Amino acid sequence: MNTLLDSLWVQNALVFAGLSLVAGLIASGARNERWRRALRRLRRDRIGLCAGAGIAVYLLVGLLEMVQIPTGDGGRVSVLVRMAGGVVEEKSYSAPLASHSLSVARPEPLKGRHLLGTTALGKDTLLQALRACRTALIIGGVTSLIYIPLGTLLGITAGYYRRWVDDLISYVYSTLASIPEILLLVSILMALGKGLGTMSLALGVTSWVGLCRLIRGETMRQAERPYVTAARALGQSHWKIITSHLLPNVLHLVLINFVLGFSGLVLAEAILSYLGVGSPVGTPSWGAMIDGARDELSRDPVVWWNLAAATGALFGLVLSLNVFGDALRRAFDPKRG
Amino acid sequence: MRPDRPQTAKSFPTPSIGVHLVVSTHGHNSAQRFWSVAREVCVLALALAFVIAGAGCGNDPNPLPLQSQREDGSSWLVRYAGMPTDPRSLDPQKSYDQMSRRLLEPVVETLLEYHPFKTDPYEVVPALLAEMPRAENQSDGSVLYTCTLRENIHFTDDPCFPGGKGRELVAADVQFAFQRLCDPKVESPVFGNLADYVVGMTEAFEDAKKNGRFDYSKPVRGVELLGDHSFRLRLTKSYPQIIYWLAMHFTSPVAREAVAYYDGASHPDGPRGAMRVRPKFEWHPVGTGPFVLREYHPGHSVRLVRNSGYRTTVFPSGGWSAERETELRPLAGAALPLLDEVMITIFRETLPVMLLTRQGYLDGMGVSKDAFNAFMTASNELTPKYRDRGMRLEKDVEPSTFYLSLNLQDPVLGSNKKLRQALSCAFDAQGWLDIFYNSVPIVAQQVIPPGLFGHQTDFRNPYGHDLEKGRRLLVEAGYPGGRDPKTGRPLELTMDVNATGAMERQMAEFTQRSLERLGIRVKVVENNFARMLEKEDQGNFQIASGTGWGADYPDPENFLFLFYSKNAPPVGKNVSRYSNPEFDRLFERMATMENNAERGEIVSKMNAILAEDCPVVLEFHRAMYVVVQPFAPRTQSNAMLEGGLKYARVDHAMREAMRAAWNPVPRWPLAVGVMFAAAALWYAAAWNRRRNV
Repeated sequence: MNTLLDSLWVQNALVFAGLSLVAGLIASGARNERWRRALRRLRRDRIGLCAGAGIAVYLLVGLLEMVQIPTGDGGRVSVLVRMAGGVVEEKSYSAPLASHSLSVARPEPLKGRHLLGTTALGKDTLLQALRACRTALIIGGVTSLIYIPLGTLLGITAGYYRRWVDDLISYVYSTLASIPEILLLVSILMALGKGLGTMSLALGVTSWVGLCRLIRGETMRQAERPYVTAARALGQSHWKIITSHLLPNVLHLVLINFVLGFSGLVLAEAILSYLGVGSPVGTPSWGAMIDGARDELSRDPVVWWNLAAATGALFGLVLSLNVFGDALRRAFDPKRG
Repeated sequence: MRPDRPQTAKSFPTPSIGVHLVVSTHGHNSAQRFWSVAREVCVLALALAFVIAGAGCGNDPNPLPLQSQREDGSSWLVRYAGMPTDPRSLDPQKSYDQMSRRLLEPVVETLLEYHPFKTDPYEVVPALLAEMPRAENQSDGSVLYTCTLRENIHFTDDPCFPGGKGRELVAADVQFAFQRLCDPKVESPVFGNLADYVVGMTEAFEDAKKNGRFDYSKPVRGVELLGDHSFRLRLTKSYPQIIYWLAMHFTSPVAREAVAYYDGASHPDGPRGAMRVRPKFEWHPVGTGPFVLREYHPGHSVRLVRNSGYRTTVFPSGGWSAERETELRPLAGAALPLLDEVMITIFRETLPVMLLTRQGYLDGMGVSKDAFNAFMTASNELTPKYRDRGMRLEKDVEPSTFYLSLNLQDPVLGSNKKLRQALSCAFDAQGWLDIFYNSVPIVAQQVIPPGLFGHQTDFRNPYGHDLEKGRRLLVEAGYPGGRDPKTGRPLELTMDVNATGAMERQMAEFTQRSLERLGIRVKVVENNFARMLEKEDQGNFQIASGTGWGADYPDPENFLFLFYSKNAPPVGKNVSRYSNPEFDRLFERMATMENNAERGEIVSKMNAILAEDCPVVLEFHRAMYVVVQPFAPRTQSNAMLEGGLKYARVDHAMREAMRAAWNPVPRWPLAVGVMFAAAALWYAAAWNRRRNV
């Protein structure tokens, strides 16, 4: 199984399958009249569109890093790294656009110029910051794939069936919410080991509570509406009512939560990497770059460009996601006519 | 009593914001009183802040010394030093960490000690012993060392002794130290090392375990008292390294009274019999050393004060290099210590150390990675800024070796010598040192570090960094291009690292990339320190990063035992589980020999065997540049001494002058402060006048 998953083409296929799934879900939701109205409103929101474009750029860069192509010697390399083929690795630190390495003791001429300098291991900082988009997208995407179905399913179930089902689900999420999230995350990661998969799992297990509460409340509201009563009167099954009537009417909340939650997940990855329990060694990550800056900032002269690149990239994505999330919320708001 | 205010609506000035607040008649008195009190509090707070700020003015972060002058009117000499962490214990028989050694060395003397200047080779000279003990071989194979203590050496004055007056050191204190080594409750980490050689130690330990307590009335058989000041040490077999053990604090004499007195319990020691908690002995060492531990504030600072009754040794009269003759000759025969007080601050970060050294508030520092570029030039010299200040740069090489351990019980690595050789060729040790240590340490060519008997200066590791050779060896190992022919996929090895910080992770990534240049894949598993030790003990790893050894004593046996098959974990530190009968045979022969040509030959054979078998991938011998202040020149740089504080000196007048020159005090804050105070006083007076009208 591991061998199969390790295959280059299987990995690429998984990337495209995941992407198709997201596109399919959005396309499916877009058939809903409410979604169409929201889309029309969104088109008029310039800031929202700019933020959306920003997200698209990050998404594109992340995809280019995710898709791997074979190298001649039997290895593999990401499309992004292949595209940046002219970017050479140096021996160690060099400042942005410097001609020599940072070392005062032994400054050596660099093999190339680097817009944002190089890291301790001589890697181009800009390229590292771009490559880290993949980590952010994997964490955000895989975690969303775990927590959104879980939160939505449990929320609708609790809101629709109520009584003991609601009590049980509320009890579970209240208990989970009472544990400090960061401690829970660190404990899970210490137990399962470091890795992007385990980090996504840990974040997924701890992130569904908010969405579940939201969906539960909305489902309770929708379940009292005449169209649900009519469906019941017509003898439709619970499954049919949930999937055909309730789910489409709460899906916009899921979408908004997904976009806003995504930024939180990207930040959580950075925080966990900063705490040393996040991305494994060798995985480009904004959190790991910021963590490295703890030592770099106390050097003389200060190595600031790794922190600046990682923080800038993180800031850009989180800001875009938040602005776009707000735009979506406004677009779906029925009070806005 | 203050008269009540009229009960009418009135506006009150609110000086702090300059507007009028209208208060209704209702609650008028209370509001009036509130503002009145508030004004007074503000003025008082302002005055107090000014007084405090004025009193705190000054740039010196060091605590004040105990005295400013000696009794004869000369300057009280204080040395200001730093250390990165707290000691783990100050019990001479127990503590095994560097920071503990740093504090124990000036307080608790050893029977022998390292000569401060003779470092190549290292030489041990008498300290508490009157002369060097000589081995007497017995017909039954045992070896006797007759030792005589110097007379008229006294423990420092301490409440644990009758009348608080330190008593004379006697041979029974050495016997007591050996008894403590055997006491299971003391948990001495070196019991196993000594019990193998000193007669009766194992027996005493077993008896104590059986009875649940150590019987201190029974002496350890291997330490026989011959008189008040002499004793005989009996070893089961020849073990020349015992000399080095006598130069370590584990065998330092201990006063029985001190252990009994400092029990960590409450006693009526306070004024008028008030109960007070006495510290435990492990935090209150009582010795015969040149200094007394006066204060220890965990996480903050340590204060050592000169032992006025110190008589054991004087400043050596030779042994230094010719170029230091003029500098050190005047000190020959001088009474020790040369200082009156040592103030050690515990710095957990490196940046304050650099800043305080720059300002002259620390008497020296090791040049850390963070400070390197600020202090060093391209030719590894001090930058002109600091050179012009008279600072000096010295390089210390520690007798230590660091390496990647390869698990020889692993089915892939254990049976494939060529693969291990290929890995050794792939690791770019110099590149690693360039990036992470500013090229200061020395690339290790052999396990024995420089300065130790058996280190061959012209020896080159045949499997040092050479990527092409590594690739060729990998083909011979059966992995052409790094691929396993059975699976057609790259060979995957796992490397366990102790990655607790960003730098460790970068180091792991560097090693991973270095080895992957062979075409293999290296999976990095990150562990915390405890988990890493557990894996090393269990042999649950393929490649273990960050393993190494610092010399307990300067003898090749102390490094070659790391590869002796009977020294595998959990008993010892043969982490690689290396087992070679020829190596073992040579080790057993070499371990108990005196340093001579034959021993040198055996050690070089063992070096060659290790180089060929590659149980480890050699990394480096640790070294560091040290910045020395002009007013606190180093008198010694022996890596086996932990500071050698008794030889340290300082020029008080020069330090004061340099501090003043390096830290000019700007006058404008004082002027601003005076103006601010004057304004506050004027306002207070005006307000008071208004109020009393």
